[in-house]
Amino acid sequence: MAALALAVGVVLADSSIVVLALPDIYRELNTSVSGVTWVLVSFNLVMALAAVPAALIARRVGPGRATAVGLAVFAGAGLACGLADSLSTLILARCIQALGGAAAVTASLELLPATVGSERRAATVWAAAGATGAALGPAVGGILTELVSWQSIFLLQVPVALVAAVPILAVAKHEQATGIISTELRRTGRPHIWANLALAMVSAAIAAALFLLVLLLIEGWRLSPIEAALVVTAMPLAALLGGKLAEYVAEARPRAAAGAILVSGGLAGLAFLPKATIALTLPPQVLVGIGLALVLSALTETALGGRAPQAIHGGWTISARHAGVVIGLLLLTPIFTHEIDQQRHDAINAGTAVILDSPVNPLLKLDLAEKVSQRLEEEKGKVPTIGPAFEPLPEDPGERSEVQQLQGELQDQLDRGATHAFSTSFILAALLGLIALLPIALSKEVEL
Amino acid sequence: MTGVTRSRGFLLVVGSVVVSLVLVGAYLAAGGSSYTTEKVQNPCEPRPWSNPQSLGEIANQFTVSALDGAACKLGVSREALARALATPEERERFKQKYGITDRKLAEAVRAGLVRAVDDAEEAGALSPLIAAPLRETVQRIPLKQAIEFINDAESFLGNVNGFLGPAQNLLEDFLP
Repeated sequence: MAALALAVGVVLADSSIVVLALPDIYRELNTSVSGVTWVLVSFNLVMALAAVPAALIARRVGPGRATAVGLAVFAGAGLACGLADSLSTLILARCIQALGGAAAVTASLELLPATVGSERRAATVWAAAGATGAALGPAVGGILTELVSWQSIFLLQVPVALVAAVPILAVAKHEQATGIISTELRRTGRPHIWANLALAMVSAAIAAALFLLVLLLIEGWRLSPIEAALVVTAMPLAALLGGKLAEYVAEARPRAAAGAILVSGGLAGLAFLPKATIALTLPPQVLVGIGLALVLSALTETALGGRAPQAIHGGWTISARHAGVVIGLLLLTPIFTHEIDQQRHDAINAGTAVILDSPVNPLLKLDLAEKVSQRLEEEKGKVPTIGPAFEPLPEDPGERSEVQQLQGELQDQLDRGATHAFSTSFILAALLGLIALLPIALSKEVEL
Repeated sequence: MTGVTRSRGFLLVVGSVVVSLVLVGAYLAAGGSSYTTEKVQNPCEPRPWSNPQSLGEIANQFTVSALDGAACKLGVSREALARALATPEERERFKQKYGITDRKLAEAVRAGLVRAVDDAEEAGALSPLIAAPLRETVQRIPLKQAIEFINDAESFLGNVNGFLGPAQNLLEDFLP
C-alpha cells in the first residue's frame, strides 16, 4: 500500500511541485511569464487528456504492469526534465512525464482494493495520497530549488518513482506469469458528471491559490523560494487537520460543500489582505488547506462510489482535476500578468510622488529619483527592490532619518501595488470555488 | 443516514460559512479593500504650498509646482515627468513614448516654471518685485537650463539675483 500511495503522491505532487521553481526556470531558460506557465500547464493538460485512455490501457495490459511501466516512464522523463537546457525540451519532457504519471496513478487504483481490503478504503487512500502530494508539492519544490536547484526537483523524482515501482514489479511479474489481471473486466459505467465537474472547478480554485500565493510571495514580496516554501507549508499542515475533520462526517456532500466554501473563503481572504505581512496569509491558507482536504476526498469518493471499474472512474477524476488546473491557470494568468504590469506602474508613480513630496534636500531627491529609475530599468517587468537605490545613506543624522523614512514609504507603495495586483485573480478563483457548489448540490451520493 | 450524521454535516457547512465570513469581514474591516497604491494627483489641480521656513523648503515646493505646471501642459502625470527629467536617457524615452518634441517639452517646462513663480508669489514666499522679472526670465531660457532650474531649484533661487540683474541685492530682503 505504501508503494502505491507513494506512486500516487509523487505523480500528483508533480502538478504543483514546480510552482516555486518557476521564477528560477523563467530566469535561467530566459523565457516569458506565459511561456514558463506552460511548464505547469503542459503536465496538467496531458494528465487531463491521457488519464482515461491510460486507465483503459491499464485494464488491457494489467494494472501492475501499467503502474510499473508508468512509473518508469515518469522517472525517465523526470531525468530528461532535470537535464533540459531549453523551455521546449522541458515542456516536451513534462508531457511524457504526464503520460507515465497518468498510467501509474489510474492503474494503481485497481491495485489498491486488494491491498487495503475494500474499494471505499482504496478510494479514500488514493484521494488522500493525491491531496497530500498536491498540497506538499510547492513546499518540497521550493526547498529543493533554494538548497540545490530547480533541476533537482525532477532528478529527485527519479529514485522516488523507482523505489515505488520495485514492489509493484512483483505484481506485474505475477500478472505476466499467470496471464491473470487483478480486475474483472466489468462493463464501464458512465462517469459521475456532477462530482467530476465540481472537482474541475475546485481544482482550478486550489491551483490558483497555490500558484498565485507563491508568485505573490516570491515576485511580489521578494521572499526566497525556501522562505516561500515554509510559508505555504501552512496549507498541507491544515490539510492534515481537514483529513481528521472529514472522519467525523460520513456524508460526502456536506463535506464537499464545506470544503468548497472554505477554499473560497480562504481565497477571498487572500484577495483582501490588509497588509503585506506573511502572518496575514496564514489564516486564509488554513482555510484553503482544510477545505481542499474535505472537498477533494469527498468528491473523489462520490465520483468513484459504486462505479466500476475503479481505474476508469479514477481516470475521470484525474482528468477533471487536471483539466481544472489547466483552466484555472489559463484563465487567471493573463489577468494577473496584466494586473502586475498595471500595479507596478501605479506603484512606481505613487513612489515617485512620495519622493517628490518628501522634505529631503532637492539635490538628494534628484539623485534618489535617478537611482530608483535605474533600479526600475534593471528589474524591468518585475516589482523592484528599491533598497540599493538608497545606498549609501547620507552621513548627516537628520538627512539619514529623512531618507530612511522615504525608503519605508516607497517600499510601502511597492508592497501595496504587489499585493493588490493579485486581488482580482484571487477573487475570481474564489468565485470558481463557489460555483462548484452548484454541481456539488446536484451530485447524488452513492452508498458504498 | 442517521440524524446525527446529518446534523454533523449541517454543522460543518454552517461552520465553514461562518469562519469564511469572519475572516473576510475581519480583513475588510482592517482595510483590506483599500490596501492599494495611493492615486497620484491631477497635475492641473492646484497643490497648496505649506508654510515654507527656509530656502530649501521653498526650493522643494518650487520644484513640485514647476513639475505640476509642466506635466499639466503636456497632459502627463507629474511623476512621469519627474522621472523623465532625471537623466537625458529617461528624457529621450519619455519623448518617444508620448510623442513629444523638444520644442513642446521646452514650452511645457517654461510654463511649469511660470506656475512655480506664481505659486511662490501667492504663498508669500517670493515678493511681487522679484516674481515679475523672474517670470519674464524663465519664459525665455533654453530647455536645458530650464530643466536644470527645476532639478536644482535651491541653487536657482539662491542665485536668482544673478539672473535678474536690476533686482540684484534685493533678493535676501524678500526671501524669508
